[in-house]
Formats: sequence, structure tokens, C-alpha cells
Amino acid sequence: MAYKYYKDNRSYIEALLKTGDLVVVNEEVDWDLEMGAIVRRICEKKGPAAYFKRIKEYPGFEAFGAPIATYRRLAIAFGLDPQTPVPQIMAEYLKRTTGEPLPPKIVKRKDAPCQEVILKGDDANIMDLPAPMVHDGDGGRYIGTWHFVVAKDLDTPAINWGMYRQMLFDEKTMVGPVLPFSDMGKMFYNKYVPRNIPMPFATVINPDPLSAIASCAPAALPEDEFTGMLMGEPVEVVKCVTCDLCVPAHAEIIIEGVIVPNVTIEEAPFGEYTGYRTSPREKRTVYRVKAITMRKKPIMAVSNMGVPTDEGQLLRSFSLALEMERMLKDQGIPITGVYMLPESTHHLVVVGVKPIYANIATQIGQLVFGSKLGPWFHMVIVVDDKTDIYNKDEVIHALSTRCHPVTGIRVAAHGVGTPLNPYTSPAERRLGSGPKVVFDCLFPLDWPASDVPILVSFNNVYPKEIREKVISKWRKYGFKD
Amino acid sequence: MATWDTYIEKDFKDMVEDEEIVAVIRDLTPGKRKYRSTYARIKVSKNPKKYPETLWVRLGRGQLIDTPCSVQVLGFVSVIPEGL
Repeated sequence: MAYKYYKDNRSYIEALLKTGDLVVVNEEVDWDLEMGAIVRRICEKKGPAAYFKRIKEYPGFEAFGAPIATYRRLAIAFGLDPQTPVPQIMAEYLKRTTGEPLPPKIVKRKDAPCQEVILKGDDANIMDLPAPMVHDGDGGRYIGTWHFVVAKDLDTPAINWGMYRQMLFDEKTMVGPVLPFSDMGKMFYNKYVPRNIPMPFATVINPDPLSAIASCAPAALPEDEFTGMLMGEPVEVVKCVTCDLCVPAHAEIIIEGVIVPNVTIEEAPFGEYTGYRTSPREKRTVYRVKAITMRKKPIMAVSNMGVPTDEGQLLRSFSLALEMERMLKDQGIPITGVYMLPESTHHLVVVGVKPIYANIATQIGQLVFGSKLGPWFHMVIVVDDKTDIYNKDEVIHALSTRCHPVTGIRVAAHGVGTPLNPYTSPAERRLGSGPKVVFDCLFPLDWPASDVPILVSFNNVYPKEIREKVISKWRKYGFKD
Repeated sequence: MATWDTYIEKDFKDMVEDEEIVAVIRDLTPGKRKYRSTYARIKVSKNPKKYPETLWVRLGRGQLIDTPCSVQVLGFVSVIPEGL
């Protein structure tokens, strides 16, 4: 049975408007920096999303900014109440993604709004789309910020949906990094490049929120089937006009083409999820455009990555944490949960665990850093099962008071990193190398019980009858909740 | 005359002048084609009046050099294979 969800961004936008999580901007805005600046400010102020009705030089287009930059909007995307606490949103995600995958449903072209308008050949000009100049100094206009790229393996039916940023180079060319360890990178570099075969791709701009969430999730399943699990029913997809790839039928804009093997073009710099413009201008993967299809009066998307919190940080923190939780539980580690603070731009993981054997914190670090998720973060804080991992105050208190500076900090010098890590040296970024660290905030098991410090908190140092008495008389004392 | 910009990886003081090079330049003409990139054969000078068109220079992470240079665009280059 289908869960409550939004088939496209138009219905999602209406839902956000009703809950006060979206502002309709009727003023004409300039795609050249103004739109990006508005969305950046929204993210930094944790404000509502923006629905831009008029874009300078692009009549007939609209834009949607900061689509899922808050947990409220994430809850709404799942069909939940906007006030749903984060642990409950996570529980809902886990519930929906445990079970059988749901293959997509292929619909006819006439039932696919994303193909209401079809442009091919010289008419397929990506400079006719309102790609924003997101930050001053970026290497180009980024047409792909809230989107995903669809690609297929050369020899198997495996497909990949992934958010690989794409910079507009000219009318027919986009450029962007495709890291070799990424799913699309493995397909492209291991199969297409050695045989010098162009790889078909389709860029899905402004997909429905659950398809976008699935494309960011590091799940082991095909993303189209994963989307179906999130929806509770198969996602509707349609075959592209120039190749056999399938794209969500209700997305706003689709760009179809091929990725060119053995050719690279300069791309970047670009303000990224880390909150910095770290990686310099470098030669990157080239996409050539063959067709553009879209809805009538299409809505461009703008996600503006920078200092927290934007959707890149929020969604990746959310989905990485959940996949780590699933993996650690599958390994039998007695964890209470895994949480990545979005403010850490998914570089810091907090794991709560029942400390039943020595060096369990080290084992947790080895498992998460050694997994395919490992390149994306470098700090793990392990706290006990009494610490609320979603409570920043409790986590900072545990880190500050229980992590021994000599015996509690475990460093691994040669992990896998990404070129975007601001703290790594230029040489480490070029190599994709990144050190890792575990902060063990568990009191050692060999300490005698009488030597273990006692946490002085309301819940810990008062008998139950005193706590119940104080809570029941709280308002009588004169306090508000 | 057009206005362009480009990025250099080296320090501005080490920028090559008065030699033909191939580089990516971006068209800064206002309008829908602003920031369109192309490879071009160019000669550059830090003297803003030496060559006919204006060139702004940015460093590797987008930092803008606040005084303009000048550029002579000798021709455009395509790096895309035929048929693609």
C-alpha cells in the first residue's frame, strides 16, 4: 500500500506552502548570483524554501530553491507532520526501506509530464535553461545542483542514480567530477572508457522529493527500486527519447546525452557541501547533450551548498547515518543508533553503543571507515547507551569529559578520502587520501566500579519517587514546561 | 569588444604574458550566454591596453584579481571528438 508522498515537486510545493515552509517570490530575480544569494541566505537562516515565479531573461521558467534544507521539509517529503522528531523520521525511513525492493513502472510517453516538450538537435540548447550562477567565483553556471544523473552499466542491467554536480560549459556541453570510487565512476571508468564507448546518461532536474532522497542514499539497491520502497508503490518512469535509460516521469527537466570517454575539460571551482570551495579548477568528465525534454512551464531547481545547513548536508547526513546503523546492526554490534550532525557537513558520526567488550569503539570505527561509506567522513564519536546521540549538548559533554586525550583518540593515517575535504593537504586531495579518527568516549571496562564517575543529572542521581514528585508538581511550583 | 575571464592555477605574478597559449575563457557579455566557456588560442598581457579585449583573471578557487588584463583571441578550439 502506498505511503503518503508527493508525485512531483508541484504538489510538494503546494504542501510546503500550506505548512508555512515555502515563500512564493513574485519579484523577478536574476539567475546571475541573485537567486543563489537568496537560497544561500535561506539555508543560513534555516528559512522556508523559495518558489521563484519570474527569472530574468527566462520567461516561461520558474525555479525552486532550498527544497529540503530543513528536517521539517524532510518530514513533509515523507508525508509526515512537519514537527516529527528526527529519530521518528529515521525510524520511518528504516521501516520503508526494509523489505522487498519495488521495481519501477514504465509509463507511456503521453503519461509522462517530463516529456510534454521535446527538444532535439540544435534546439537542445542548455543555455536556454535558467542555470544559475550559484556563487560568485564558481567556475561556471551549475545546471545540476538538485538533480541526479541516470546511467547504466555496459554489460549488466545495473543502473545508477546519483547526484553528480554538473557545470554548464557551452550550449551542448556539461562538465563535472565523477569520482572513480563512485557507482557511476566504476561503470564509466571500468567499462566504457577502456573500450572508448560514450556512455548514455540522463540528468533529471528537479525530481520529486523521494526520488531525490533515493539518489543520495548509499543503499545497495538500485535507486529506482529504492524509490518505490520509499513511496510504497513503484515509481513511474519513462524511457528517454534518445536512449533506453528510464527517468522519473514527473520530474521537471531531463537532459539526455552521452558521457565522452578519454576527454576531459576544466571544471570548478564550486562551493560545496563541506562549506568551502576546496577543490581547484581541474579537468573533469564531459557530458554532451543530445536532447532536452521538460514539462510545460518547467521549474528549475537550485540547491546552494555552503555553510550549514543545505539539503546536500542534511540528506547525506541522514542517509549515511541510517545505512551505517543498518550495517552495524547486521554485524551484531549493540548500538543504540547512529547520527550525523548536518552541521558537520557529514564529516562527523555519533554512535551510541552498549559497551559490553573492550575496544568496541575501535571496532565500530574500523567497520564504518572500511565500508563503501567511509570516504565521506573522517570523525567517529562513540558514546555509551545512556547518552542521547541526537542531543548535541549531551554529545559534547561526553566528548569533553570522557575521551582521554592519549588513550581515547585513535588515528588511522591512510584512509580513503575525497578531493573536497578542506582539512586535507593539496597532495592528499589529489590522491583521494584522508586520515580518520575515532573518539572513544566510553569509560574503560577494567576500571573498578567504585572508580567510575557518576553522571550527575536529574535522571541519574535522584530516586524515582523524588523525580516523579518534582515532575508532577512542576507547574504548582510556578514553572512552565 | 568582448569581455572575458579565465582561471589560472599559478600565482598571478607567474602568469604567462605575450605568448600564444590555449586556455578556457568565459564570455562575460550580459545575457543568456553569459559565462559560456570555450577553449581559445590567446595572448594575454597584464597591461589592460595592450590587446583589444578585456580579460579578468581568477585564481584556482575563484579569487578575482582586481585589476583587469587584456587579451587577443586568435581563434577558438574544440576538444570534442567529431560526431559527439
